[in-house]
Amino acid sequence: MADVIRMPGVMEQLRLVAGLRWNLLKNGLQRKNNRWDLIGIILAAAGSAVMVVALCVAFYVGAYFFLTKGRATWMSLLYWAIFLWWQAVPILVAGFGANFEFRKLLRFPLSLRAFYILGLGYGFADFAAVSSICWIASMVVATAVGRARLLPVMMVGSALFILVNVTLERLIGSWLEKIFANRRARELLVGLFVLSMVSMNFLNPALQHWGDHGTRPGIFLLVPYLSWLPSSLTGNALEAASGGDSQALLLRIGGLVSWLAATSGLLWLRYKSQYMGEELSESGAPSAIRRRARRQAASSSLAGFLPPPVAGVMRKEFHYLTRNGFSFITLIVPPVMVMFFSMQFAGSHSQLKEHGLSPQTFFPAVMAYLILILLSPAYNSFAFEGRGIQSYFMAPVRMRDILVGKNLFLVCVVMVELVISLGVLIWRIGFPGFPLFFSTIAAAAFAVMGQLTIANWSALSFPKKMEIGKMKGQRNSGVAVWTAFGVQILIGGIATVVLLAGRWFGNAWLPVVLFAGLTAAALGGYVASLDPLSILAERKKELLIETLCR
Amino acid sequence: MNELAIRTEQLTRRFGALTAVDSVDLRVKAGQFFGFLGPNGAGKSTTIKMLTGLLAPTSGRMELLGLDFQYNPIEAKRQIGVVPEGMGLFERLTGSEYLHFVGRMYGLDGPTTEKRTAELLEFMQLADREKTLIADYSHGMQKKLALAAAVIHGPRILFLDEPFEGVDALAAGALKALLGRMTARGVTIFLTSHVLEIVERLCSHVAIIHQGRLVAQGSLEELRAGIPGAEGEKKTLEQIFLSIVGQSGAEQSRLEELTWLT
Repeated sequence: MADVIRMPGVMEQLRLVAGLRWNLLKNGLQRKNNRWDLIGIILAAAGSAVMVVALCVAFYVGAYFFLTKGRATWMSLLYWAIFLWWQAVPILVAGFGANFEFRKLLRFPLSLRAFYILGLGYGFADFAAVSSICWIASMVVATAVGRARLLPVMMVGSALFILVNVTLERLIGSWLEKIFANRRARELLVGLFVLSMVSMNFLNPALQHWGDHGTRPGIFLLVPYLSWLPSSLTGNALEAASGGDSQALLLRIGGLVSWLAATSGLLWLRYKSQYMGEELSESGAPSAIRRRARRQAASSSLAGFLPPPVAGVMRKEFHYLTRNGFSFITLIVPPVMVMFFSMQFAGSHSQLKEHGLSPQTFFPAVMAYLILILLSPAYNSFAFEGRGIQSYFMAPVRMRDILVGKNLFLVCVVMVELVISLGVLIWRIGFPGFPLFFSTIAAAAFAVMGQLTIANWSALSFPKKMEIGKMKGQRNSGVAVWTAFGVQILIGGIATVVLLAGRWFGNAWLPVVLFAGLTAAALGGYVASLDPLSILAERKKELLIETLCR
Repeated sequence: MNELAIRTEQLTRRFGALTAVDSVDLRVKAGQFFGFLGPNGAGKSTTIKMLTGLLAPTSGRMELLGLDFQYNPIEAKRQIGVVPEGMGLFERLTGSEYLHFVGRMYGLDGPTTEKRTAELLEFMQLADREKTLIADYSHGMQKKLALAAAVIHGPRILFLDEPFEGVDALAAGALKALLGRMTARGVTIFLTSHVLEIVERLCSHVAIIHQGRLVAQGSLEELRAGIPGAEGEKKTLEQIFLSIVGQSGAEQSRLEELTWLT
């Protein structure tokens, strides 16, 4: 018999969990790097507090105005804003990563009721909830000042609205946790998210092209149906109370209670299945061994003329690219963005109308943009290696082979992207003429070669781990970002001067010659840098292993 | 066979004020199945990381098969296979892609790599999962794959950091048989494990590291002879270990304090 004298109460468990989270934060900040994070957190907290307070004032003024001017029905808009914020922010903050922290509490002897209340406690503690409650409180104060008669309805409606929101947010979070526990689903959703963000760029050109400016957007057809959702119900309850329509008021309050019952009930069922031991792990259990005819993997003819380690690294990079939804989409994005730019700023549907950009200006500008996007990952090229980074240091190879393999693969990718984008450009805005065409190609070659050396140095010196299928915290180190920025500005400046030199001297082919010379010099510098970079890699291997294996 | 496979002199590694490995002199002969033991935090993994090139020593020398690691790191690495702490796998590759990658990194040609990959996957009972991403493998399957990667190039020294952790009994038996055959062919195996029964069963020689210092080294018989006990009594490795690291009997007094539990 275990010596448990008494079960701690729910409040005590909440206090313990709060203490646990505080200790995790405090201990996490003891690491040197995290002190900078602390400064970042303090600055972010100050900025967030200013935003919340400013919006409190805005919500107060809005609510006061609507209630005192007899437009109580417009209160729904304020509740809709809060509703969207409350439901969307936690999803974006979670960054498509599974968060198992709350579920870990299940190893303790909690009752289902305590687990449920703790779950709601977590829901009330996040930033979206706290800020939303502040804004609702400011609306309640506005009601008390502006139309005190509506205060009881305002308080009941707002309390129900808050409870519906917190249960709904936890319910969505719990379902997302279940979905995101599956790696493939996670990666697919990240890919779809990025794709949808990119697609939004096309809304304006599409509306410009096909939109009928005389009609109301179709979204307004949905408005009558929205009135049965919590935000509209709360606003309409206030309107009913304002107009003395007690039947309508009861109907709206009843609607909110029904929503609360539904979300609470569904949340209870979700937490119950978690409580009963729902398995979210995706690791496959060892299966029975099925003997089957040995299949020789198709022998790779990839880069058969390259040394085996270089070819091995290139092949590995290819596999990683095809399995990293985010990276894969970054390959789709450049030609798509070229299409977007050409629709916006050039061609027959240009936003700039008669001042549309000419192919002579557009060609180099778009190529520069492509290089900017495609070369950026090279500044943190070990980001996705994880524990595999150890393989590079255990194998009998020098880092130069690994860098060459990675760089060669990147150059191949850049070439494919440039060819596709050039095709799109020529299709959309026309051929810019041979001198400019070759100047641009030579400039691209120089920009790539010129950056690789510094990018390799940056990747070895300032590694930052990234994880496939996650969005939260997926960024390069600040130094790598600024290095890339500085190098790209420098190379952009040189390229501009060279391109303009052709015009000054009246020789359209001069930039081609100058860029060819610069590319050769950059290539020489690149080759010369490989050995020093191998030595640097030896010096930095502990940093790399510690950072990427964490 | 008297050739030294592993030899270190005053091998030391400091992390700031902490000396994790302190002047370690190791001698491991070729073909030995060598167990490297120590309590948690004693310096075992740090030593293995130095011996395999994952960590630079602060001072001291190390030779693998007569090759000074400092001056011939590439040649030395060519002779060794490693299952490191954390396994060092590229989780977004499939098992067969990873083995192919490792084979190429060690300079094997394409057809040889393909052949060995298929054979090793079959042996490790992973052939039915050759197209599964490593990220989706169980811990034991990852361990088996890491072991397959460590031997794909036919190393002369094999460093294994907790190789049987999470591996099922069936596979563990096959692996032990494989390792036994490798030592019979002259391969040196340098193994760390907290499961002393495994070390006692497999290893002919043992070294014990404690608080960064090497406190014992030799064959099991030599170590047995070095500790006090009744004549004719055959001490187990656990008893030897506890005796050497100075913990023998200490747990008894600590147990007495846990009256509420015992």
